[in-house]
Amino acid sequence: MAQKRKELLVDPLVDNNPITLQVLGICSALAVTSSLKVAFVMALAVTFVTAFSSLFISILRSQIPSSIRIIVQMVIIASLVILVDQILKAYAFEISKTLSVFVGLIITNCIVMGRAEAFAMSNPPGAAFLDGIGNGLGYGLILMLVGVIRELFGSGSLFGVTILQTVNNGGWYVPNGMLLLPPSAFFAIGLLIWGFRTWKPKQVEEREFKIQTVEGH
Amino acid sequence: MGLRSFFERIEPHFEKGGKYEKYFPLYEMVESLVYTPKTVTTVAPHARSYVDMKRIMTYVVIATIPCILWGMFNTGLQANSAIAALGEGSASGWRIAILQMLGISLDASNPLANFAHGLLYFLPIYITTLVVGGIWEVLFATVRGHEVNEGFLVTSMLYTLIMPATAPLWQVALGISFGVVIGKEVFGGTGKNFLNPALVGRAFLYFAYPANMSGDSVWTPVDGFSGATALGVTARDGVDALAVEGITWLDAFYGTIQGSFGETSTLACAIGLAFLLITKIANWRLIVGCLGGMIAFSALLNVIGSDSNPMFAMPWHWHLVLGGYAFGLAFMVTEPVSASHTNMGRFIYGALIGVMVVLIRVINPAFPEGMMLAILFGNVFAPLIDYFVVQANIKRRARRHV
Amino acid sequence: MSDTQTPDTPKGPIGRFLAASPDSVGKTIFVAVAICLVASMIVSVAAVSLRPVQEANKLRDKQLNVLQVAGVYEPGMDVAAAFADFEPKVLELASGDFSDQFDAATFDDAAAVDDPELSIALENDPAAIGRQSKFRTIYLLKDESGALDKVILPIRGYGLWSTLYGFIAIEENGNDIFGLQFYQHGETPGLGAEVDNPKWKAVWNGKKLFDESGELQISVAKAQGPAGPEHHIDALAGATLTSVGVDNLVNFWMGDQGYAPFLEKLKAGEL
Repeated sequence: MAQKRKELLVDPLVDNNPITLQVLGICSALAVTSSLKVAFVMALAVTFVTAFSSLFISILRSQIPSSIRIIVQMVIIASLVILVDQILKAYAFEISKTLSVFVGLIITNCIVMGRAEAFAMSNPPGAAFLDGIGNGLGYGLILMLVGVIRELFGSGSLFGVTILQTVNNGGWYVPNGMLLLPPSAFFAIGLLIWGFRTWKPKQVEEREFKIQTVEGH
Repeated sequence: MGLRSFFERIEPHFEKGGKYEKYFPLYEMVESLVYTPKTVTTVAPHARSYVDMKRIMTYVVIATIPCILWGMFNTGLQANSAIAALGEGSASGWRIAILQMLGISLDASNPLANFAHGLLYFLPIYITTLVVGGIWEVLFATVRGHEVNEGFLVTSMLYTLIMPATAPLWQVALGISFGVVIGKEVFGGTGKNFLNPALVGRAFLYFAYPANMSGDSVWTPVDGFSGATALGVTARDGVDALAVEGITWLDAFYGTIQGSFGETSTLACAIGLAFLLITKIANWRLIVGCLGGMIAFSALLNVIGSDSNPMFAMPWHWHLVLGGYAFGLAFMVTEPVSASHTNMGRFIYGALIGVMVVLIRVINPAFPEGMMLAILFGNVFAPLIDYFVVQANIKRRARRHV
Repeated sequence: MSDTQTPDTPKGPIGRFLAASPDSVGKTIFVAVAICLVASMIVSVAAVSLRPVQEANKLRDKQLNVLQVAGVYEPGMDVAAAFADFEPKVLELASGDFSDQFDAATFDDAAAVDDPELSIALENDPAAIGRQSKFRTIYLLKDESGALDKVILPIRGYGLWSTLYGFIAIEENGNDIFGLQFYQHGETPGLGAEVDNPKWKAVWNGKKLFDESGELQISVAKAQGPAGPEHHIDALAGATLTSVGVDNLVNFWMGDQGYAPFLEKLKAGEL
């Protein structure tokens, strides 16, 4: 059981990462990764929501009527998200301003729904809770990696602390403006997926078709 | 014959099982550069005849020669004119030192002086592009065990020609790296890229370092000189303001205006395009589509008109000669890999780019220049256009046999 | 379908209910209602109990912006205490007089802009803001002796991609600019977003709005206009359209449709 618990937590970090393997939750990964602080809070929020929604859904799983099961899951997830949003607005106002609608949009983050449907509905509460934490951390890991790339090379800082002094402030580093634009996260995530699959070749999907070669002329 | 026999002697070492098997791509690159390759393409996109990749790519490079020569001359002309306007004090740097050492004046009315000055801007950028891009090419070719493709010669030349003369070399290196790796190699290399790698690299720089890639002070390589590009002037004050700035339509056509190395002269682009059309490297349908789309859409906007946006009134013959339109039309739209492959699709693809370039130039306030983005946009749609053309054809033929 | 299928039959009504199939109509309705009740209770408790903290945050945020533009903010200071030096006033733009109609502490500027009673649709609208409120909350900063030191005026207008919201701080003579600060915008990072660059903001300090004949001369442009260096702010490099936007909005708000009547009174020392 201890082994299994560890797997539930560690597996989603690399081997079954929600972003790089399942390609879920991309939208918010594009939007909130231009600064690490924001990415970090977002990762915490998603981990919290995924863990507790999985826990509650798992507890209720034998009582949830299958005809309204998605709605019940949504209500639970939405309540948790609103809770997080309210708490952030009260105790982390600056960050909640930057996150703006993206906290609310955790509701539509496929990772949360995905874990509820795929895991919590058919597993005991303890396992579901760990699975939620694991997937939240897997999401967070990618967010942080992308955040490091984007903030370091886009603004020359990490967690708002200047690492590379930028030209505009009298330093030498010319910040890469593209990294501050959301599409750059696409490239960063793409390169991460490339890296992960080179490292773990079994993540590579099978080809759907083969390019024909024509013999002779 | 010494060279041939040298290649023949060392070839076994590079073939399968040989000592340097891993470095076959390097051998192949040098060998096929010197001699005609023994193998010809047998798969898409060039499977129509025995025309090989090397010949296509060499022809494209030859076609850019007028643009290269004009680019060097014009860069020098702009620089020398600006120095004359700002006074001798603005002339500094290693280029000026070399010119003085060689006894070459900074006289804007002397074509050779202009050419020499421009050459000193062109060469560093081109060499950087070749070296850095070449390293990536060889790296991928070695790891993946395929041949280094001559396509890179075209990519590096086109990339250099769409750079502003003041581009910092480290940015040039970063841009071509991005273009080669993200624009081409991640999709499997030449022939499998759906975007034009040179444009991908340029677009990367455009969004990453906009201050160095757009604006008023990057086109003419003289410190302290600032002047809006012709399109910039038009976006602010309308086509008529160009006359005030001293730019006539013929200036823009010959290319004595500010801009990237290769894009200023519509005439040079036209010569290159004619060469590509005669050798049938470029498909005329793409050209017709792109010209038609641009002319029709700009005429439509002329008719609609706008009180607040002077770009609406810009007629098509100005769209043709300003900015990167002519260069993009001649060398980017016609690029066979990233364009549509069906004949009907080529018309649609060309027209889409023609409409988009006018749309971006006129309607979008942030980008007075639109050719780069329009072509990349077209690249993305090319496979979809082909799909619909093929499907329509299948449907039509199926109906015939009901 | 019935509870008798389970090996140990549950006892009591609650046990029987829990063991019943979740797919029966009664139970579906019950679960739906119960979940909604519990969820709405949690959410409303959180919302109500946290509201005071959130309101305080919003207020503090607004005060912070005012402090920053007035140049008195230092990291870690007590914002509310420092803000006590500022006196909010509701200004009637057209007349340039303070209005007693509203309480400055509670006047809602955002709502006033949309209120057809309190705002007008602009015909001549260079700042592209659509509607202009007839009343605005402004802030007066008094020095230790109680004399007027600076006025902080809210401004807004369209740049390249977005509306820029900010404040401009003007000295008590109604002509010298002390500072300018935008607290919300969506301009291009690295170009237009350089409106936040401290170096560029510092350029505004000491510039004059009006020339000696009282004409509004302030301009944000590449080249210095005929009015002289004290009215000219260098445009942001590479961000022509954002600079044009800032130029438009400053000229609009300092002009007759904006604070010009108020600034006239300020210059004349009628306050």
